[in-house]
Amino acid sequence: MSAVPAPLPPEAPGPDLRVDLGRGLVLPNPVGLASGTAGYGFELRQLIDLDRLGALFTKGTTLRPRDGNPPPRVAEVRGGMLNSIGLHNPGVEHVAAVYAAEFTRWRVPVVVNVAGGNVDDYLGCLDRLDAAEGIAGYELNISCPNIANGLDYGRDPVAAARLVAATRARTNRHLMVKLSPNVTDIAAVARAVEDAGADSVSAVNTYVGMKIHRGIRAPVLPGRGTGGLSGPVIKPLALAAVAQVRAAVSIPVVGVGGIMDAGDAQEFLIAGANAVQVGTATFVNPAAALEVLDGLLALALRSGIGRPPGRPGGAVRAVPPAGIEPASTG
Amino acid sequence: MSAPLSDLGRARDQSGEVLAVEALGGGLVEITVRLPHLAATARPGEFAQLRAWDGVEPLLRRPFSVAWTAGEACGFVLEAVGLGTRLLVALRPGDPLRALGPLGNGFQLDPVPARALIVSGGLGCAPFPHLVRGLRRAGCPEVVVLSGAATADRLYPADRFVRGETGVRVMEATDDGSRGHRGFVTELVPEHCDETVAVFGCGPNPMLAALAAALRGMPRPPHRAEVSLEAPMGCGFGTCLGCALPLAGDHGTVWGLCCRQGPVMEVSQVDWPGLLALPPAHVA
Repeated sequence: MSAVPAPLPPEAPGPDLRVDLGRGLVLPNPVGLASGTAGYGFELRQLIDLDRLGALFTKGTTLRPRDGNPPPRVAEVRGGMLNSIGLHNPGVEHVAAVYAAEFTRWRVPVVVNVAGGNVDDYLGCLDRLDAAEGIAGYELNISCPNIANGLDYGRDPVAAARLVAATRARTNRHLMVKLSPNVTDIAAVARAVEDAGADSVSAVNTYVGMKIHRGIRAPVLPGRGTGGLSGPVIKPLALAAVAQVRAAVSIPVVGVGGIMDAGDAQEFLIAGANAVQVGTATFVNPAAALEVLDGLLALALRSGIGRPPGRPGGAVRAVPPAGIEPASTG
Repeated sequence: MSAPLSDLGRARDQSGEVLAVEALGGGLVEITVRLPHLAATARPGEFAQLRAWDGVEPLLRRPFSVAWTAGEACGFVLEAVGLGTRLLVALRPGDPLRALGPLGNGFQLDPVPARALIVSGGLGCAPFPHLVRGLRRAGCPEVVVLSGAATADRLYPADRFVRGETGVRVMEATDDGSRGHRGFVTELVPEHCDETVAVFGCGPNPMLAALAAALRGMPRPPHRAEVSLEAPMGCGFGTCLGCALPLAGDHGTVWGLCCRQGPVMEVSQVDWPGLLALPPAHVA
C-alpha cells in the first residue's frame, strides 16, 4: 500500500494513541463513532467534545436523498436493539456541498460512509465527495440489511471485489470496507476486498434479526419484519468475526459491535482490531465513546504504552492491550 | 413543510436523586426527581431521556415529558407498561436517576394567546402542568384544561394541572361517565373554541386525530393548534433516526423525527391518516 503520509495532528499531552490506517488516514486515537449512530456529527457536537475522538463515521450516504423506511424503525430486544431505518439521508450532494465545509473546521477526522444499489451509485457518490474538502476517507457500506439488494455486495466475494476495484480506481482517498456479518465466510469477503485494493476493513455491520410481538402475532418491524441487530448482545459474535478477519487479511481492521465501555474496546483490540467504533452505546449515553477513549488512555498510561509527548516518530498502530503484543498489520 | 429542528444546546446528561414516587390511582404514577439543570432549563413540552438502572436490560433510555418543575425538582407522570417503566415506578426516594435533557421542541408560548385550551387524554396529561404554569407566567389570562380518561380513577388530578395557579379551569370527561362529561374529551372542545384560542393537545393518536378533525370542522377555528406526539425512540437527540412520524409534505407523506422536529408539532404538519395507520406505540 502506497501510503501518502498526512500531516499528523498536533501532539496532545498524554499517551500517543494515533492509529495509521494507511493511505494518509491517521486517527488521533483508536476510538471512533460508528456509522448510523452519529448522523453527520452535528447533533453530538452539541452534546459532547466530538473533536477528542479518533474518527466520525457518518450515516450511510447515497447518491440521491432517501426518506427512509416507515415506522416503527427501532425495536428494543434483550441487550440490544433492532433498526430498520432504510438509509434515511440527505443525499451526497448535500453532504458534499453543505456538510463537508463544516467538516473542514473540525479536528475529528470525518469518514463518509457510502452506500448504493449498484457500482454506478457508489462511483457517483465518490466523484462528488472527492471534489469536496474535509473528508478523511470513505467507508464503503456493502452490507446494509435494510434496503433491497443492500446485502448483495457484502455476501458475494466476487461482487465485493468488483465494487472495491471500481471505487479504488476512482479515488485516492482512504477506502475502508464495512463487512457484513450475515455471510457464511466473512474471511473470504475480507480477503477479496483486500486484494481488490481496500485500505482497511471495518467489522461488523449489524446482524439480521427479528422481534415478534405475541399480541399482534407478527414482527414488530414493518416490511420483511427484519432489522439490523446491534448493541451488547452482538459483542461475542462481532469479536469472533474480527478475529476471523484479522487472521485473513494484513490491512488494518476496525472492530465494531456492541462496545459499551473501555473493557469491551480492549477485547476488540485483543482480538486483532487496530481501532474501534462505538455505536449503539451512544444512543444510551452520548458520551460513551469519550468514556471508552478515557478508559483506553488510562490503560495506556498504566501500561506505559504510547510515545511520550513530543517524541518524533511514526504513529502507533494500535493500543497494545496490557500484557498482549499489538496485532500485526503486516 | 418541515418543522424546525430542536435546540440541543441546553441538553445535559445529569445524575439526579429520586425525591418521591406517588401512585395517583388507575396506574398513573408521578415521580419527583432532583435535577437542577433540567428544572432550570426545560420549557413546556420538552422531554428528557431517563435511565434508572445499570446493565443492558433494558438497554435504551425512556423518554418522558417534563410534567412540572419546582425549584431544583422535576416531575414526571408515567405508567408501568413495559420493563423500563416498571423499573421507574419501582424507584424509591434516594435512588439515583440519570436524565438527558431538555430535548425536543416544546409548545409555542410566543405570541401569548388570549386564551389557551389544553386537551389532555389519559397519560397525555404529562406535559401540561408545566404548560399551564408557563402560559400563566407568560401572561395568558385564561387557561382551560379539558381532561379526559377512560375512567375516573385514570384522570390526572385537577389540582395537579393547576399547581396553585389562578385563572385556570379544569373540566373532566370519562369514557364511562364515572366523572364529568360522559364521552370523549374531544367532544368538549367546540364549546370552548374560537379564533382567540390557542389549542394544545396530548394523548393517544386516535384522540389527537379526533381533535384535529374537530378543529378542521369548526366555523371559528383556533388561530393556533399544537399537539405533542410520541414514537418508539432510540436516542432522543436525532442521530438514530428511529422515531419517524408521518408529516404532511408538499408531495405526500414525509418522515419527520419526533425527537428533533417534535414532540410538539402543529396540527397542520401531521399526516393524520398516516399516523392512525401506524401500530400503537406499545407494540414496539
